[in-house]
Amino acid sequence: MSTFFLAVALLLLAFFWQITLSGIQRKVTARIHRRVGSPWYQNFIDLFKAWSKSSISHGFIYDFGVLMALGGTIATLIFVPAGNLIVFKNLDNFFVIVYLLAIGSLGMAMSAVGSGNPWASIGVMRALTQMLGYELPYIMTVFGIIYANKTASIHAIAEAQQTMGIMGWNMFRMPLGVIVGFISLMGMLGKKPFDTPIAPAEIASGPLVEYGGKHLGMLMLQHEFATFVEVGLFVNLFMGGGTIITFLIKYFVVYMLATMIASVVARFKIDQLVTFYYKVPLALAFIQTAIIIFTGLGVSIWL
Amino acid sequence: MALNENEKINEIDVNELDCRDTLTFWEKFGNIFRSKSIWMLHYCTGCGAMELPPTMTSRFDMERIGMAPMATPRQADVLLITGYLSVKTLRRIIYTYEQMQNPKYVVGFGSCTLNGGVYYDSYAVISRLDYYLPVDLYIAGCMPRPEAVMSGFKKLMDMIKKGEALGWKRYQKYYDWYKKNQVRALGEVYVKDEFHE
Amino acid sequence: MNFMNNIIEDIKSRFNPENTEIVKKNQIAIDFKNEEVHSALAYLKSQGWKQLTILTCVDWIKENKFQLVYILMNWDNSITIQVRTKIDRDNPKFRTVINIYPGAEMYERDVHEFFGVEFEGNPNHEKELFLELWDDLPPMRKDFDPLAYSKKKFDVREYKVDFIPKEGEAE
Repeated sequence: MSTFFLAVALLLLAFFWQITLSGIQRKVTARIHRRVGSPWYQNFIDLFKAWSKSSISHGFIYDFGVLMALGGTIATLIFVPAGNLIVFKNLDNFFVIVYLLAIGSLGMAMSAVGSGNPWASIGVMRALTQMLGYELPYIMTVFGIIYANKTASIHAIAEAQQTMGIMGWNMFRMPLGVIVGFISLMGMLGKKPFDTPIAPAEIASGPLVEYGGKHLGMLMLQHEFATFVEVGLFVNLFMGGGTIITFLIKYFVVYMLATMIASVVARFKIDQLVTFYYKVPLALAFIQTAIIIFTGLGVSIWL
Repeated sequence: MALNENEKINEIDVNELDCRDTLTFWEKFGNIFRSKSIWMLHYCTGCGAMELPPTMTSRFDMERIGMAPMATPRQADVLLITGYLSVKTLRRIIYTYEQMQNPKYVVGFGSCTLNGGVYYDSYAVISRLDYYLPVDLYIAGCMPRPEAVMSGFKKLMDMIKKGEALGWKRYQKYYDWYKKNQVRALGEVYVKDEFHE
Repeated sequence: MNFMNNIIEDIKSRFNPENTEIVKKNQIAIDFKNEEVHSALAYLKSQGWKQLTILTCVDWIKENKFQLVYILMNWDNSITIQVRTKIDRDNPKFRTVINIYPGAEMYERDVHEFFGVEFEGNPNHEKELFLELWDDLPPMRKDFDPLAYSKKKFDVREYKVDFIPKEGEAE
């Protein structure tokens, strides 16, 4: 029973925290553009407005895919430890999260193709191509961490970093790895310059092209939850998790850094994106993994 | 004196009508959110596209009143019709409007949608938009400056909050009347395009 | 200028144009008879005027003539030549040039749509290009009245005068 309440608490935390942060992110972007920007609660209004509109259905697959995307993302979210709020103590394995995260993307792909719009097919194709790009360097880096810690449990990895103070974070013990991780995180979040699948000006917002009203509201929520999963993973793996307060502070810093980078750069084309991922981050990930295998974590770079 | 169908349609003048008594409680509740978050689809025909970038970007910053551009008709709430509206465009506009999700609003932008503007005598430009689509708000000018655009959007928000912007209900209720006007101006609304055959 | 005169002399030696003029720097206008247009165009294309910039039409309603204007461009010496010819306005017919300039197909459809000129030999010249479901005179002719058409087709907004100026105010 306590597990159930913990899960609900985690969901509520993710909902309010991440949607507030999305509003703040819009504000930050606007400030960088020298604008005033929307109020911080704008995204709540957008969400409730989208749910108050009528929506159209293009068939069973279309509706089911949206529910599958939302459900799969919520299921993934429950496994992510947020600071010391851990729902399933012994199940927060990295591989579980990676497998479950694919369900959300697949549901969205299924639904988008079910809508029958050519833009949606192009968008889904781009999204899967982009996944192919960022997954490989990211997984290699994380395998390095897992190899060094001899465990794939997320909270065990997070706790192992808290023993040595701030210098014990994987961020400082594997500086190349954190660069790879951050670039891959930007790709996962779909921030610029990696927002190729949802290019509004080129392919009419890609997979989202046919969604209106309630469907769109659900997918917005799904996107917020997926963001929480991805950023939470990054904070746990590279910045040592921490208590719930420190976790949220670190989360805020990482997310805002990604936003600031995103608000001043332009968009990659899909071929440039894959080429970039297979050149720079993959090479860095190889070097980092080799260092970890031969000398262990925390090379005495800092002496 | 019984009227036949055609005469009944001719008797209607939709701009005098009011659908406010059809609002349900949930719609009144939803209007609070709808007025604060407006996603717009700008169908920029002609010179209207000139005035929107200043309105969106840092000088006037449309986003601070909760407006954002959207890429597809399905996601949008407001259809901005900017500039002159040729007969060929009107067919596509009607398609676009009917693809949008309720509640939807139409904003006519500039003199051309209001009364034909400088193209009042053109063979290819319609003179009056609200005979073909239910327009909620007109912004007069040729072209209206961004200040006028912003004030028009604020007015639209107040209208939505009070429940006065009910063009979408009118369009459903008096569809025959709109359809008759569309057919008279266009011949038929169906789009035949040789490049998409 | 000398170079332009050479071109005109060359044309005059091969065909007999009705009139030649140098419109401005690097632009020449030549009037041909109807029969000579195709051979002249073919010759000019072989001389380097490879681009048909536009085919357009002018309505000379008092002479009761349509004037077809073929504007050619040479990318080597940047000289534009207008090849012009006048055809009858009551029965406007002309032979197509798509065997010389294939890109002329769209221009001919355009001219047929807006002026009603028939191009024999162009299989698609009657397809509609810009105007959909047009049911009147071709609209660019000068005897077509756009205002009457607009009033007939489209609804006009009626205005009531609700401002009455007082004494001494400007109207």
